[in-house]
Amino acid sequence: MKQSNRIGGRIFIGLTFLFLYLPIFLLIIFSFNAGDSSAVWKGFSLEWYRALFQNRLIMESLYTTLLVSLLATAIATAAGTFAAIGLYSLGRRKRDALLVVNDIPMMNADIVTGVSLCLFFVAFFQGWGAFARWFNGVQGVVELPERLVLGFGTMLLAHIAFNIPYVILNVAPRLRQMDKNLVDAAQDLGCTWMQAFWKVILPEIKPGIVSGALIAFTMSIDDFVISYFTAGSSTSTLAMRIYSMTKKRITPEVNAVSTLLFLSVLVLLVLNNVREVRQERRAQRQDVRPPSFFEKLSMRLSSPAWKWARRGLAGAMACAFVVLTVLLTGATSSQPVVNVCSWGENIDEELITRFEDETGIRVNYQTAESNETLYSLLKSGGADYDVIVPSDYMISQLMEEGMLEELDYSRIPNFALIDQRFRNLPYDPENKYTVPYAWGTLGLIYNTSMVDGEIDSWGALYDDQYAGDVLLIGNSRDALGVALLYLGYSVNTTDEGEIREAFDLVADAGRRGVFQGKVMDEVFQKMEGGNAAIATYYAGDYLSMLDNNEDLAYVIPKEGANWFVDAMCVLKDAPHYDEAMEWINFIASTDANLANMDYIWYASPNTEALERYPAYYQENSEDGEPLDLELYEIMAPPAEVLERCEMYTVLPPETRTLYNDLWIRLGT
Amino acid sequence: MSKELIRLRDCVMSYGDEVVLDHINLYINDKEFLTLLGPSGCGKTTTLRIIGGFLSPTSGDVLFDGVRINDVPPHRRAVNTVFQRYALFPHLNVFENVAFGLRIPKTERDGRKVKLPEREIHERVMEMLSIVNLKGFERRPVSALSGGQQQRVAIARALVNRPRVLLLDEPLGALDMRLRKDMQNELKRIQQEMEITFIYVTHDQEEALAMSDTVVVMDGGRIQQIGTPEDIYNEPKNAFVADFIGESNIIDGVMRADGVVEIFNRKFQCLDKGFAKDEPVDVVIRPEDVDIVDEAAGQLRGTVTSVTFKGVHYDTIVDFYGFKWLIQTTDFCPVDSRIGIKIDPDGIHVMKKSQYSGMFGDYSSYSEEYEELDVVEDEDEDGEGRDAREGGYEE
Repeated sequence: MKQSNRIGGRIFIGLTFLFLYLPIFLLIIFSFNAGDSSAVWKGFSLEWYRALFQNRLIMESLYTTLLVSLLATAIATAAGTFAAIGLYSLGRRKRDALLVVNDIPMMNADIVTGVSLCLFFVAFFQGWGAFARWFNGVQGVVELPERLVLGFGTMLLAHIAFNIPYVILNVAPRLRQMDKNLVDAAQDLGCTWMQAFWKVILPEIKPGIVSGALIAFTMSIDDFVISYFTAGSSTSTLAMRIYSMTKKRITPEVNAVSTLLFLSVLVLLVLNNVREVRQERRAQRQDVRPPSFFEKLSMRLSSPAWKWARRGLAGAMACAFVVLTVLLTGATSSQPVVNVCSWGENIDEELITRFEDETGIRVNYQTAESNETLYSLLKSGGADYDVIVPSDYMISQLMEEGMLEELDYSRIPNFALIDQRFRNLPYDPENKYTVPYAWGTLGLIYNTSMVDGEIDSWGALYDDQYAGDVLLIGNSRDALGVALLYLGYSVNTTDEGEIREAFDLVADAGRRGVFQGKVMDEVFQKMEGGNAAIATYYAGDYLSMLDNNEDLAYVIPKEGANWFVDAMCVLKDAPHYDEAMEWINFIASTDANLANMDYIWYASPNTEALERYPAYYQENSEDGEPLDLELYEIMAPPAEVLERCEMYTVLPPETRTLYNDLWIRLGT
Repeated sequence: MSKELIRLRDCVMSYGDEVVLDHINLYINDKEFLTLLGPSGCGKTTTLRIIGGFLSPTSGDVLFDGVRINDVPPHRRAVNTVFQRYALFPHLNVFENVAFGLRIPKTERDGRKVKLPEREIHERVMEMLSIVNLKGFERRPVSALSGGQQQRVAIARALVNRPRVLLLDEPLGALDMRLRKDMQNELKRIQQEMEITFIYVTHDQEEALAMSDTVVVMDGGRIQQIGTPEDIYNEPKNAFVADFIGESNIIDGVMRADGVVEIFNRKFQCLDKGFAKDEPVDVVIRPEDVDIVDEAAGQLRGTVTSVTFKGVHYDTIVDFYGFKWLIQTTDFCPVDSRIGIKIDPDGIHVMKKSQYSGMFGDYSSYSEEYEELDVVEDEDEDGEGRDAREGGYEE
């Protein structure tokens, strides 16, 4: 009985650890995968680590993360330590009450902290704007900036704010353990309070300070939610960057960077533990050990002869800190800059470097997860982008709301290269606001080894024959749009009867168990791994799936499909309008379009680029292999195919509400 | 014998409505061993902390060598303290603990900061360690020392700075009985050797009597009596002092004339004078001043209710007319035997009635009273309470 209990306990513990660590183990394994799939192993390679260190966006965000974590940790540790000492000079009742208050921010949901800080900063900026206008009006000596935006500074403040409680939490117990008479004793022996702090309090609470700092640092590095709400549009931490990279799929680069992040946190923890164990052992042995190098150094530094060296060092550190902060905030103002927001994995990053080298304009390249997140970011007033790259229907909506600025086409000569097919489209009939960036189709992907014969109709999605093997696309517009097409209606219909008919078709298939699930990003794993037979997804993504599973086929069904255009626009009151024009012109060039097409596998709107791409592909492929023209047709379908396709237009609000209601009723 | 060093003038310490010290007036002579004695919460530690500079009195003056020092912070006073539970610095070894004060640069009169040369520090620390018998322990971490050794380090750490006055806050409270006796002698020896003033706080009356030149008995924030140990013991001013110092039977009496006091309606000869005729008084009779005689020959007659063997003597509780006395005698009287007692005139001490009258001196609940005396102050509670009121780290 007892024996079996013990075995049961061990198995349980084993399973717990397996559950905890297996996912991380898998992540580490796949970071060494030669292929770019997260499901199929193609051999060992360090390729993704190399790619990682060459990925400028990741490296930039890594730099931001380290900087914000280090600064926040340093400031929060100092502030938290003194706050804890202050708490301990209060009466017991007040102290206990305040310690409870201190615990609340740690238990509070990150999202609440993040949103409230964001609201606070935005409200403060509005008040500041009013004050600055008044102040600049009444005097001319000092000019205060009138427009403040969320950015590195606000994120740093937020990190400091959420780190301080952790420091207090770690320092407080050390103070509680400390004999209160120690400070009295030091003062009694001739110390001022400050000397007593350095000579007695600090050595006593040092372990608490160090572990507080380590935890604060880990929390800072880890944080996603609070940074997300306070970093504004022009700053990204590593976590935010990873999140935006996973919009489409989890690339092995993400695995690699996550592995490195995991390992560095692990190293920090191990270091901390080893340190503690050593200290304990030393305390137990109570041995006399010669002072270590650092102790000798600090002893020497604390002697009066070194007073000026000490002050110099402190001064130098303070200067370095100030310079660093000024550099960080000032870097943007001294150099021309353009703030761009696009999607993850939507540009060949070499283009950014090339543009910067050619023009001297720094590109602050950010990414959003979807049209809807971009929209809410813009609406919240937290963003200060110049150029955005939304999709067709979102452009209509932004135009209707007057959020876009007209472009100066005289400064975008490369607009002439844009194919007639992609000008004056319904979302911008007079073409005053947009320059197309990429286009593609939404089609049907199926696994030829799991399906008999060819599929040429959307009907396959609702066919009992494939029950349990069909993936329903995870957004309402696409899922219902495809059903409308199958029924012979327009994807932009506002007729409630037609929409309800489409909903019934989908819901009925759902009840019959045709769908395996509602998916977005998971479509990659499922289709590549052969876990599902049929899915609805975008052509460009089909091409990357094909790399990992040759059995996949893509078809634009006979009922037609949706096609879409992402186009560059400039926001109203963009702070860097001139630079934005240069950027748009650069991206519209044939070279840039070729590079992008090769990288993202979505078609370019540039006539020359479309013509030259097959040759470009052959030149750039390693073994001079020619482009498979069938695939190229999927990437950039010819005019006759495009004619069968329909573009989304913005729907009236009541129709949008209907979509939402129906979508919720569909459940999972 | 010597000149006055410290004077507290009308010192009041209060926290809101709570008065901790109530108009304390006290002077301390140079090279004196003075003890502040009293039960927990009597204000003795507060008085010490005022002298040390950790507290500033709500009103009143603290004078040092005739100069008012109310606002002088602790690090600028020529006073050092040995704290309750020693407060040694755990991160430093014995040598560095003792050297701590010497390593702090001192500000000269002209504003220059002077640091002692390392050689002098070494000499002074080693000299001090030999005075407290801790030679050879320099490199030990303080956590590796016994209580008595830690005690010596604390004393050395304070004395190495050559203070004019050493303050000791219940320094022997955490030691066991045997060690305590040794350390009492040690402290007295060091005080005489170093020729400095000791101000010693304790709640242990034996310790106070054994070591002090002067004892200050405190209760309820007030000084009850100041005097030599002999004065305090033999001529207690009120029932509180009589009870707190040693064992006392305290009985209601009436002063019938100079040298005549009436107890239990019987007149006794005594040496006290100067009371009004028929004034009600408290009469103190020490247990060892009572002679047991035959019932017939006794001035008072009573019944033995309990006997405890104490080694040198028996603690015998005798019931006289419903009032129970403690008598310490070498004669054994069995329980329930009838006895008589005789008291010499110099065994009777008459005191004025005070707020403490009727509170002490009855041994009806003898055994419990004994335990009560042995209760060590609950220092934690005391410390926390004080901390909560005062704040931990005031400058």
